Amino acid sequence: MPLPIHAEVFQQNAMEPMQVDAPTEDNDNTEEEPYIVENPTLDLEVYANSYTGLAKLYRLIYIADHCPTLRLEALKMAITYVMTTYNTGIYQTLHKKLQEAIGTPGLPDIAAQSTSQDIPAIDHMWLESKSKKAALKLEKFDTDLKNYKSNSIKESIRRGHDDLGDHYLDCGDLSNALKCYSRARDYCTSGKHVVNMCLNVIKVSVYLQNWSHVISYVTKAENTPDFSEVHGKDNNQAVITKLKIAAGLAELTTMKYKMAARHFLQASLDHCDCPELLSPGNVALYGGLCALATFERNELQKQVIFSSSFKLFLELEPQLRDIIFQFYNSKYASCLKLLDEIKDNILLDMYIAPHVNSLYTQIRNRALIQYFSPYLSADMRRMATAFNRTVSALENELMQLILEGQIQARIDSHNKILYAKDVDQRSTTFEKSISVGKEYQRRTRMLILRAAMLKHRIHVKGQARDTTQGGELSVAPGNSSIVSRN
Amino acid sequence: MMKVSSLMASSLELFVNNVRTLSTQGNFRELCDIINKSTTTLARNGPHLDNVLETLDLQQHSLGILAVLCVKLSLPNANGANNPDAYKPLLNQVQDFIVGCNGEQVRFAPDTYTELCHLLSQLLIDLQMPLRGVDLLRRAIRKIQLFDSQLTSIHADLCQLCLLSKCFKPALEFLDTDITGISQEGGYFDAKYFLLYYYYGGMIYTALKNYNRALYFFEVCITTPAMSVSHIMLEAYKKYMLVSLILHGKIVTIPKHASQIVNRFIKPLSQGYHDIATAYSTNSCAQVNTVMTKHQELFVRDHNWGLVKQVLRYLYKKNIQRLTKTFLTLSLTDVASRAQLPGPTEAEQYILNMIEDGEIFATINQKDGMVVFHDDPEKYNSPEMLARLEKEMEACTELDKRVLEMEEEVLLAPQYVRKVCCHVDQDEPLTGPVHTNVTNTQGQSKHSTYSM
Repeated sequence: MPLPIHAEVFQQNAMEPMQVDAPTEDNDNTEEEPYIVENPTLDLEVYANSYTGLAKLYRLIYIADHCPTLRLEALKMAITYVMTTYNTGIYQTLHKKLQEAIGTPGLPDIAAQSTSQDIPAIDHMWLESKSKKAALKLEKFDTDLKNYKSNSIKESIRRGHDDLGDHYLDCGDLSNALKCYSRARDYCTSGKHVVNMCLNVIKVSVYLQNWSHVISYVTKAENTPDFSEVHGKDNNQAVITKLKIAAGLAELTTMKYKMAARHFLQASLDHCDCPELLSPGNVALYGGLCALATFERNELQKQVIFSSSFKLFLELEPQLRDIIFQFYNSKYASCLKLLDEIKDNILLDMYIAPHVNSLYTQIRNRALIQYFSPYLSADMRRMATAFNRTVSALENELMQLILEGQIQARIDSHNKILYAKDVDQRSTTFEKSISVGKEYQRRTRMLILRAAMLKHRIHVKGQARDTTQGGELSVAPGNSSIVSRN
Repeated sequence: MMKVSSLMASSLELFVNNVRTLSTQGNFRELCDIINKSTTTLARNGPHLDNVLETLDLQQHSLGILAVLCVKLSLPNANGANNPDAYKPLLNQVQDFIVGCNGEQVRFAPDTYTELCHLLSQLLIDLQMPLRGVDLLRRAIRKIQLFDSQLTSIHADLCQLCLLSKCFKPALEFLDTDITGISQEGGYFDAKYFLLYYYYGGMIYTALKNYNRALYFFEVCITTPAMSVSHIMLEAYKKYMLVSLILHGKIVTIPKHASQIVNRFIKPLSQGYHDIATAYSTNSCAQVNTVMTKHQELFVRDHNWGLVKQVLRYLYKKNIQRLTKTFLTLSLTDVASRAQLPGPTEAEQYILNMIEDGEIFATINQKDGMVVFHDDPEKYNSPEMLARLEKEMEACTELDKRVLEMEEEVLLAPQYVRKVCCHVDQDEPLTGPVHTNVTNTQGQSKHSTYSM
């Protein structure tokens, strides 16, 4: 399992000279536009080997979409893999993509020449036989299920549904798979079955990116009455880890980074075996980045750095481990530099890529806040060097943070010095109490007035037709309008 | 007087006699009834009303004179409309009456009295001489009020005249007094005048740039219980939004006790104003400007264009104020670019004005074009501040006392006692919430259940 990381480290070193090109601050605003990663340092084969099933296919497709240099390789790999399944739909789309990739004129010539021989052509024979086989299999499962149902043996019906769901999943028909897995719910007889059903549904929902579904089924599984007893101790750990990872992923995609970090941190490496969702390296990456972006310094120390279980995860991603340690040791410059280095690879990860920029900004802001926290005044020029920014860009960043109340400081733009703001507690208290008093007076006055208003039954009551200002207004005549209130 | 036809004469004579005898007897209630019945007679005898007036004494027969004047004001003028001179004698008569009438007596017919004032102010508006009525109405209000903080429907007329004559001071003495009671005028108080008073009052405060108070007035206006859309409320809501932007930089949420109508009907009717607020929340003057140009026609039609322009001006100010929170020193050019002002000269102008108004604390170093922002120099240790604090605290205790009195009043009211006693058997804890309800605004609506 730890294989991919070594490869990455190795490649990272090899990449060093190209670092000039690495995008640093320029692509802060590329969040929603389709972006292109130029210099990935990914070993595709190792990367792909850590996933199975649709997760592998989706990830490869994502890479193919966003990284022209790896496009062909990724597509070929995906095609080879898809041949082992019944997923004819994806097979066809992959081929279409492959044709486009070859047709792209911008592609390096060398790649086109060297690969022209081994580009797989679309295999119609395979397509036909697979669809036939799939149909046969589907029929078999269907009749099986009917038989079970007529015999009304709950356990068999449940298994029948599960089998059918598995098959649909294999064919890539996600909505039907979800249906079958959910149907199994009515035939669950023990807590174990319920949890199993939940795991199946979660898996499909992740593929469908239906995150609210994922979260609700995670809670459902966790609330299963004898959740902690039914499984053997080891097995139970594995289930918990799986649930935590799924929940973390769902929270991450819905921008709740802190919750995501908490979930990921509860995963345990020894039981982290779910290649159809995430690889352990992913868990380390997602959890680490989210924690870095949202945790306070002491939280970071207690829950990440000193956490015995998460430490093992971090070993899988030594770069990330270095980043976290540098951050904790207040070496922000090298930390931010390392972050930039891994950015390209992270951008090829389908789940975290859309959040890279916001996570990076949050990490940066946190670093700025921590950097300044022990000082009364700080030279912005030196700060700018530490954070690899121009002074004016830093000034803007700081201004934003001050306005948000995250840094209590003021900028001396003339001398380029940042001064900590000395808050006069006494004055603020006075100021606050005066405004509270004012507010009280205002509200009480309004209350007294309102009492008088109600006592005199002042009430705007409509007439049948609205015409002009005068005509539209009418008044409750005497008691009638107030009667309904009593 | 006897030269006219005997029938007419006799009915008028009867009226005069009634007024005289009943006034001497002090039987004003019956007199009011009779007067109410004889309005048509008076109206029919329009040309001879002056003769009637001559026979009545201002002090002793105030009610009779009031009725006659009221009829005279409601009759169309024979000498052609819109000629101020033709109305001069009548206006003088009304003025003499308001100044010299017997307050005790006219309180028996407050509805006629306020009607007289409404007619008077309408007439003055038609004649385009609103200033003439300002002082008169001020006196009129003082005469009829039972206590200083009582609201009469004449308040609205006074504010309207003040607005039209652009002379706001006379209204302030009333506006600055918080209303604690409302006068009973002929059994009920017209919500129209209530809304108008708070709408006009808000406008006067807005004109005087007392935005805090203006917002309060508009808020009262839009939280008035309502069953249908009132145009006064709609206009007040629009102004409420603009003033709220000026004062707080965002639209203050409307209190929960406001009528559903506001959210359901009035909000959708003021979309252009919501667009301004959305643009404002981005702190971008350019965006606000775009929305302003887009909806210019609407704002001009609503007569809010000037106020909308103020909103933009305050956004510039707000942006500069934000700078004071983040910077100690900043060059004028930077101020201009960060606050999106056209150039350093404009920035300097704005900053100068703001320093003068005490909105920011700063000094401008003209030699190198730097602005140095300071903290608020108020250290809360001067005797003046102590006096101010004491005054504020006194005001708070005063209000608190008032609320307690009101609560006591409610607790002692027979209806309330009966209601609570009946409820106790079924619903024990009801007494608890009612107590506390009286002390918070939200609970007020519940409170009314028992006070009615």
